[in-house]
Amino acid sequence: MALDLNMPVLVVDDYKTMVRIIRNLLKQLGFEDVDDAADGTEALAKMKERRYGLVISDWNMEPMTGYELLKHVRADTGLAKTPFIMVTAESKTENVIAAKKAGVNNYIVKPFNAQTLKGKIEAVFTD
Amino acid sequence: MAAKRKVSLQAVVDFIDKERPRDRSGSIGDVIGLAQSMADALESAIARHDRVLHVEFRSMMEQIHTLRQDVVTLRPDQMRSDRLPEAGRELEEIVNATEGATNTIMEAAETLMAADDSDHAAYKALVDEKMVEIFEACSFQDITGQRVAKVVRTLTWLEERLASLAERLRVDEIETPEEETDDERRRRELILNGPQVTGAGVSQDDIDALFL
Repeated sequence: MALDLNMPVLVVDDYKTMVRIIRNLLKQLGFEDVDDAADGTEALAKMKERRYGLVISDWNMEPMTGYELLKHVRADTGLAKTPFIMVTAESKTENVIAAKKAGVNNYIVKPFNAQTLKGKIEAVFTD
Repeated sequence: MAAKRKVSLQAVVDFIDKERPRDRSGSIGDVIGLAQSMADALESAIARHDRVLHVEFRSMMEQIHTLRQDVVTLRPDQMRSDRLPEAGRELEEIVNATEGATNTIMEAAETLMAADDSDHAAYKALVDEKMVEIFEACSFQDITGQRVAKVVRTLTWLEERLASLAERLRVDEIETPEEETDDERRRRELILNGPQVTGAGVSQDDIDALFL
């Protein structure tokens, strides 16, 4: 799968400031079409309406967490192949392993910088 | 207790043996006498139980009195009306100050990102203005540091009093099964550990190694 800067990206985070930070970083990286959702439930609804090229999601959200969203996405044949990056403050090994088992493409621990985000996005599309 | 009951019943048996007519017939007077004898025996038993209960209730009252005094030393009125609400307000102020500063800094950065740089002098003036705004916004750190210190003092105050109460009540000697609350179950099932203190969580490099 090639990296396409025109693809729509969905940022999922319940903290508006973090959405704004990621949105600005993505803009700096050249992504123009960035959408957002405040939790897994809203994200899943949006993903069923529109095909996103990449999902960047927080873990700790209510009512549906990013981990639950990831499992829903991977269980849905129509969405299963959507690249999914977890960006979270959950930095225990068990979280990373659980996310990997659930099919996450990459995992970024907060706080992070633009270079890390860029590197992980590129890695997802070159794997 | 069994020995005492035996003695009381023996009084009834003795009465029957002594008072019953030889021809084994009974009158209303015999029945009343028997009832009186049983009542006497019961009264004696109840009196003994009363003394035991009295001692036990007195012990319970003393324990409750001691417990009340221990709770009073916790200053629950001050905790409820002053210290905990104040700590909550401080935390709200911290969140608000952090959010306000972040918004100010991000607005400055977004303005600069979107600015027209064709006019060098105007662009430099704008950069200078926004840099000052960013410096000013960063002053939140000093105030939030002081607010955090106040919250920590409250938590320490609470911890010391609870530890002291637990020690006096010897609660560590009581084994209590740990019951998982709904929130704890949700956090366990969804692996919600929250941020870790510096050095406790895995680093980005460790995570990257897992994805090689």
